[in-house]
Amino acid sequence: MSETLGTDTAAGRQSQGTARVGGAGGSAATSPASPRAAARRRGRARMRLEIAVLSGPAIIMFLAFVIFPVAVAAYYGFYRWHGYGAATDWVGLNNYKLIFTDPAFQQVLWHNLLIVVLSLLVQGPFAIVLALLLNQKIRGRSIIRVLIFVPYVISEVIVGTGWSLMLQANGAFNDLLGHLGLGFLQADWLADPKLAIWTLIAIISWKYIGFAVILMLAGLQSIPDELFEAAAIDGASYWQIQRRITLPLLGPTIRIWGFLSIIGSLQLFDLVYIIWGQYISGTAGTSTMAIYMVAQGRDAGNYGYGSAVAVVMFLISLIVALIYQRFVLRRDLRGAVTEGAI
Amino acid sequence: MTRKTRSATAVAIGLGITLAVSGCAGGSGGGSDSSGGKVTVTFWENATNGPDGLNYFKSAAKQFEALHPNVTIQYQTIQNEDLDGKVQTALNANSAPDIFLQRGGGKMQAEVDAGQLQALNLTATDKTNVGASALSSETIDNQVYALPFDTQPEGIYYSKTLFQQAGITATPTTMDELEADVAKLKAIHVAPIAVGAKDAWPAAHWYYNFALRECSQSAMTSTATSLKFTDPCWTKAGDDLSSFLKVSPFQNGFLTTAAQQGAGSSAGMLANHKAAMELMGSWDPGVISSLTPDQKPLPDLGWFPFPAVAGGQGDPSAIMGGSDAYSLTKNAPKEALEFLEFLVTKDQQEAYAKAFQSIPVNQAAQSIITEPYNVSALQAANKAAYSMQYLDTQLGQNVGNAMNTAVVNMMAGKGGAADIVSASNAAAAKG
Repeated sequence: MSETLGTDTAAGRQSQGTARVGGAGGSAATSPASPRAAARRRGRARMRLEIAVLSGPAIIMFLAFVIFPVAVAAYYGFYRWHGYGAATDWVGLNNYKLIFTDPAFQQVLWHNLLIVVLSLLVQGPFAIVLALLLNQKIRGRSIIRVLIFVPYVISEVIVGTGWSLMLQANGAFNDLLGHLGLGFLQADWLADPKLAIWTLIAIISWKYIGFAVILMLAGLQSIPDELFEAAAIDGASYWQIQRRITLPLLGPTIRIWGFLSIIGSLQLFDLVYIIWGQYISGTAGTSTMAIYMVAQGRDAGNYGYGSAVAVVMFLISLIVALIYQRFVLRRDLRGAVTEGAI
Repeated sequence: MTRKTRSATAVAIGLGITLAVSGCAGGSGGGSDSSGGKVTVTFWENATNGPDGLNYFKSAAKQFEALHPNVTIQYQTIQNEDLDGKVQTALNANSAPDIFLQRGGGKMQAEVDAGQLQALNLTATDKTNVGASALSSETIDNQVYALPFDTQPEGIYYSKTLFQQAGITATPTTMDELEADVAKLKAIHVAPIAVGAKDAWPAAHWYYNFALRECSQSAMTSTATSLKFTDPCWTKAGDDLSSFLKVSPFQNGFLTTAAQQGAGSSAGMLANHKAAMELMGSWDPGVISSLTPDQKPLPDLGWFPFPAVAGGQGDPSAIMGGSDAYSLTKNAPKEALEFLEFLVTKDQQEAYAKAFQSIPVNQAAQSIITEPYNVSALQAANKAAYSMQYLDTQLGQNVGNAMNTAVVNMMAGKGGAADIVSASNAAAAKG
């Protein structure tokens, strides 16, 4: 790059800098020849070096372990490839055609959709109510908070193994039902295709509601007490305060939680894989897109096809994320985005 | 000054990349090192049946090292389900071991196509040791790519005690007899047959064996290459399985039962007398003995071949089977082949059979077998009109997995015999 271009950019940045710094020394910056301006430019160069050093490793990691694999998956998605040696058998879009016509893929899409919607509908309201409850001054509050958060902290493998042992046809849960005199409720919770998906949703809700509650609690703490006091003085009832003040002000937290929940639901893999193993989740009706990808890609040895599934999954998640950001998170992000853009 | 910043940025990025690349490259090696007369042969296997298997391999290595002082054998035992992924990554990264457990079938074909395996240059002695029929399933285009150590005929393992308690005097030879025995075993409140459907393949082996009885030998071998399941025998095999399901021969909750892990698995149920029978390959006694309460072999274990199916095109004596074979990677030193050749000699094979409670491939070593179940299995195998490889091996994992899943679907009441065929055909299109 030429020296002039370099100074140009420097000048451009400089005026920006002035605008942002505002009054402090603004007049001095207008004469570029002054020694103070040079010092400032040196300072800025230092700052850029700092940015480069601090963000460089993260950017390299991101490129190497996120962007590069995505690109490689996109490449292999065009091949019929069994994972040994180099890919040579170019099939164009045939893998994608097979994915969208495979009834098994339509099934996993439906399961994912069900999990997304039900996670939002079950966990959201429950988490808000629990957070409101736990925001009160009640006895043993911190222990209840910890207990609700515990399932989220336990690893997925332990949760999956534990539940799958308890929910076996001859497992602890059915045994408990029998001893409570509720024997007629006993069922094959994991293997019955009519029940399995609901079992999964119950386990997901149990596991992840703690995370939602913690987020909501943090959101509640950030609402100034003065608002509640003012409303109370004005004669608002408890429920009016929650409806008119708490919920609207909790909005950003709820929307961010919704975003995390949707993305998590779309990518759900570990719990299903641990409980149902690599083969029978489709039979039980609990398979997800990620399960389909592993089964059709790695387990079947069709690495080309599996890569194409990965690309489809990536695009679906990306589109959902973009739509959500554009229409739901817009208000929350506006401040952050505009500051960087202008 | 901006320029300086830029170059600093470039240096930082460059440094990062260098670190990352050197980090990635650090794991290479593991291959052979023939320089200076000293040779290290690396060997990956899946002997996780307690200490016996690994001890056998270690003592075999010691004996071989005593004969060849310049050679060191280095083992790595890898859990069965993890082995294939590790081998594949290592093969593609050129850091593969010299010797590894070969699954055969479609996987071996893909490795041969990618030029990752060494064609084995076998002597006449090797060929007599292993036997022509065992070598034929490891052969592609007249080249042998793996050396089998054992033969794994499949049949039904059963508990003699439970059969006695149920008043069953002779093992069943037809499906009608088997169904009658199922009813008798239900009367003494044990699960008649255990199946680990969570792993899919144990359930699918029921379908394989019905197909073995329904399909003629030529129909099976031609389908293995064409991957087109047009012969009606494939649907009939599914119908047989679904009519067998009507007597509900399997344990409750079989869909979420694993095959080999823990007392609740199908092998564990047999080991603890919770179930009377299990259809399995000849590795099962080893698995069962690790799951009995005292971790000793099950004393009352017996074996009988899959019963005859009325009206089938297949020979009623035909048997399904597989083997544990080992391949050499393309850069393996000649000492690696020598070690494999050493392992199929009579003495080694006898020790191998004892350690794994399996049937050695070397016929001269087969007289070592005393376990009643292995004797029955060996007799059936020697009497068989022909032997077929396990279908998921034979058809390749792509079609094989789809077939396995479809069989499990049918057993869970989703779909029928026709869906097994259509799922297998659909999978062939993806690979």
